[in-house]
Amino acid sequence: MARKKRRIRRSVESGDVQMTAMIDVVFQLLVYFIVTIQPVDVIAHLDVFRPSPEAKQEQLQTPPKMIRIQIFQDGFTINDRAVGLREMETLLARLAAIDTKQTIMIMATAHSKHEALVQVLDLCAKNGLQNLSVISTN
Amino acid sequence: MKKPREEGGVNMTPMIDVVFQLIIFFVCTVELERQAIDESIRLSMAPHGPAVEVKDPREVVIEVDDRGRISIARNYMSDTVLRNLLRNVVANHGQTTPVIIRAAGGTRHEDVRKVMDAAAYAGLWKVSFAAIKEVAQ
Repeated sequence: MARKKRRIRRSVESGDVQMTAMIDVVFQLLVYFIVTIQPVDVIAHLDVFRPSPEAKQEQLQTPPKMIRIQIFQDGFTINDRAVGLREMETLLARLAAIDTKQTIMIMATAHSKHEALVQVLDLCAKNGLQNLSVISTN
Repeated sequence: MKKPREEGGVNMTPMIDVVFQLIIFFVCTVELERQAIDESIRLSMAPHGPAVEVKDPREVVIEVDDRGRISIARNYMSDTVLRNLLRNVVANHGQTTPVIIRAAGGTRHEDVRKVMDAAAYAGLWKVSFAAIKEVAQ
């Protein structure tokens, strides 16, 4: 009986792979990766239309049906009315309820911040407006 | 006693080798991908914007930092160089190549305009702005 036990133990000891050490290493790797991994932000892509350089002159005469949003260094106007971001949101929601296919012309001045443009594009995306043209003005 | 053991047991060593090789390969490729974009650019927030689902392999990512410097994969260039580069892109991949502008929130519009004009000049019309939809926890 005692002899049998001894034999079994020896056969385990002479096994090919030492699992304990491997599991240790794998756990170390796992912990290392969990600690070092950096979560990635979800990125959105806001599509815009841009007038081609040849059509630049024509674009300046604006048909009355478009919604014109202007972005200045210190604020926005929508159809020549100065509004805040909150007010613009409600106005755009109302306009989008009529028709989401209408053209929105976004005119940004040279010194306005890109962030303001993204804010306007985000509001348009929120209300499902798709025809967004970005025009740069001086 | 020894012979039947060798026949029955699976040899783990090559498998472990392969798994480690795979791990190293993925770690290296993730690092390379991360180096291609400028992490210092602080994008603006667009919580309602459409999330990126399909990635076009042809897409050109142009970065503009808040000082107005234009770069592609951390290579800084002037707008005339960008214009020529985009013309090459059109020659190789066609006009439907998407252009993604990663501009910092504090960038002035005139600097972003340079990039948009270069794209329009080359005939690229699929222009979109990258923004953060959801901040990672």
